[in-house]
Amino acid sequence: MKSLTIRNLSKTYFDVHAGANVTAVRDLSLEVPAGEFVSIVGPSGCGKTTLLNMIAGFIPHTGGEILVGGRPVKGPGPDRGVVFQSWALFPWRTVLDNVAFGPKMRGVGRAEREKIAHDYLALAKLSEAAGRYPNELSGGMQQRVGVVRALANEPDVLLMDEPFASVDAQTRMTLQEELTRIWEQKRPTVIFITHDVAEAVFLGNRVVALSKGRVLEEITVDLPRPRVWDDLNKDDRFKALTARVLQLVRSA
Amino acid sequence: MRLWLSSSLWFCAPFAVLLVLWAVLLPYFEVNPRLFPHLDAVVEAGLEGIKDGTLIQHIGASLLRVTVGTVLALVFAIPLGVAMGVSPAVSGFLTPPFRFFSVLAGIAWIPLASLWFGYGFGAITFVIFNAVFFIVTYNTLLGVSTIPLQVRNAAASLGAGRWAMLTEVLLPGALPNIVTGIRTGLGFAWRGLIAAEMIATNVGLGYMLFVARDFYKTEVIVLGMIVIGVLWLLLDRLLLAPIERATSERWGMVQRA
Amino acid sequence: MSTLLLKTWSHYLRLTTQWPSIGTIVPFIPLIVAWWIVTALQVFPPAFLPGPADVVRSFGTLVYTGVLPEYLQDSVVRLIVGSFWGIMLGIPLGLLVGLSQRVHKALWPLLMFFQAIGDIAWLPILVIWFGYGLVTMTVVIVYTVIFPVILNTVLGVRSIPINMHRAALSLGASRTRMLWEVVLPGALPNIMTGLRNGLGYGWRALIATEIIVGTSGIGFLMFDARRAGSVVEILLGMIILGTLWYIVDSWILAPIERATGQRWGLVTK
Repeated sequence: MKSLTIRNLSKTYFDVHAGANVTAVRDLSLEVPAGEFVSIVGPSGCGKTTLLNMIAGFIPHTGGEILVGGRPVKGPGPDRGVVFQSWALFPWRTVLDNVAFGPKMRGVGRAEREKIAHDYLALAKLSEAAGRYPNELSGGMQQRVGVVRALANEPDVLLMDEPFASVDAQTRMTLQEELTRIWEQKRPTVIFITHDVAEAVFLGNRVVALSKGRVLEEITVDLPRPRVWDDLNKDDRFKALTARVLQLVRSA
Repeated sequence: MRLWLSSSLWFCAPFAVLLVLWAVLLPYFEVNPRLFPHLDAVVEAGLEGIKDGTLIQHIGASLLRVTVGTVLALVFAIPLGVAMGVSPAVSGFLTPPFRFFSVLAGIAWIPLASLWFGYGFGAITFVIFNAVFFIVTYNTLLGVSTIPLQVRNAAASLGAGRWAMLTEVLLPGALPNIVTGIRTGLGFAWRGLIAAEMIATNVGLGYMLFVARDFYKTEVIVLGMIVIGVLWLLLDRLLLAPIERATSERWGMVQRA
Repeated sequence: MSTLLLKTWSHYLRLTTQWPSIGTIVPFIPLIVAWWIVTALQVFPPAFLPGPADVVRSFGTLVYTGVLPEYLQDSVVRLIVGSFWGIMLGIPLGLLVGLSQRVHKALWPLLMFFQAIGDIAWLPILVIWFGYGLVTMTVVIVYTVIFPVILNTVLGVRSIPINMHRAALSLGASRTRMLWEVVLPGALPNIMTGLRNGLGYGWRALIATEIIVGTSGIGFLMFDARRAGSVVEILLGMIILGTLWYIVDSWILAPIERATGQRWGLVTK
């Protein structure tokens, strides 16, 4: 696990459809120590997905720098794992082969990478799904596979782009609790993008509110772990924090 | 196993009925053999054709041309389709011309092909190449361009390099469309083959049909038609359709033009 | 430099969203330009590959002498007549096969086999029966068109959700009303696809027939030119074919197919 440092990051690009320049991120700075879970919230269009895509290396940044463990980021790579909202599993590979994909790219032998995959699937309680194809699974299960696939590659930083937005409310709560459970075991550095304020507070050590491409405010979440919905829903501190973040986001 | 056997029997039943009707009705109504051959004449022609080798020759020539033309076309079409499909701007721009050429696939090229290559193997193989090339390129392009960007990004973030991206993501992702393209292209190729063989060569199934017409040898014509039908049926139903079904159904991907 | 490129591309994209036809025509321009350059440089001998100017000139001559309009009319009329009968026979047959399990079992293998024989293979025997005239050509086109129409109609009928049948029954619909009110509308998007495919195949079959046994028409134009060794008219014929079909397919058939499918929210494959 490594730290993530973002300094004076900016992104301006030429929008082909609008026919003009657009600034999505301006002068954004953020420090994430190794092993910390940071939730990023903000209204639509505040630049949070652009930020994630830049950290992941899918799009280049036009100004500032992004450092992982002190080294600058150049293009996508296995050091920054990504979990997508549409889960982006490979439909032509079984669940096991999906999870084993990262190790396969690194050149790990078949027996070993399948063992790794099985271990991670067991961690997410998905062992029986190993031989199935993604389209045979429910949305919630597919998303868990997506999370586990990124984790199995043991990235330095884990980037999650609104991963639970396409899943129903009950499944979402289960997935959130599962994510915290897995996180506490492995402690990756996580950037979690969401527009759901309660989710952001539930999951993170820190919540960063974004607005119009820059950081509005950072709020520390000092709630104890493990975090469980039944408890937190009655916790006053949780409610206060959620209300505060919500106010920030709505006023942005 | 039993299911396959029983469904095959059910498939053959209507043909059995047809054969019986053919064997019985034609002689009964004393249909002129020059108009439509009797079953025994066709069977005899078939056996003769096998014995003296001419039928095998014709079938062999036709199949050889189809195979060579198709393989050549695939070698060029698939890489080209992948290269074009990777960029949404390029694939969007090039789609109209490729659709245009798909329309001309096969038969429309016969006059030109026979002028450029003369009679024989070259012209016919060119027609087949054409029929398969444009359709497979177009379908490959389509297949690659419809792979969601996030799936490609996911592979990149899992450490896939250029080669891995091609073999692990682009090709498997486009495979259902490629197979559909091959199946459609072969359909055009087969028809183009028969048409081309009727006018541009002196061996092959199409030629066999056309020459028999000159001599009013209807039993050879009908034999040829049956052989053509059976060959295509075998090729399409036993080889192509199962592959198409296996890829798109198993993987749950249904992306069509 | 790259911003200039991006700006031009952006203009182009916005133009095409406003007028989609531009997106269909512009991609051909580089093709034509490349063709012109290749022929101007005489990479191949001119008898082998004539340039755009020659083709245009030939087009003008043929129109002027009335040959082209006459051939075009002949081809189009044959296609329309053949397709008409193919559709008139194909849709009812398709409905029958789609609705009745027994008819399906009896006829489906035969349909598969006869489709596999293909239209062209029938030409020799048709010529023996009917000679070289309109009847032969019409039969071939009917034969070609009928199969996609039947197959797609069957697919359409069978993919109507069972609940629609049940709903109609529980609202008191009789068998005939069921046909008109549920089956036909329900299968219509697929029938349109079948029509579109059928016409596409029919067009090709027409050209093949004209090439092999024709005495007029675009296909015959190309084959006649081939006999005279004149590549120009062959190219002209191919361009006319492609353009004509492209226009009919993209601007008439595809929108109709999309309109029925999308309008009614039914997309079955």
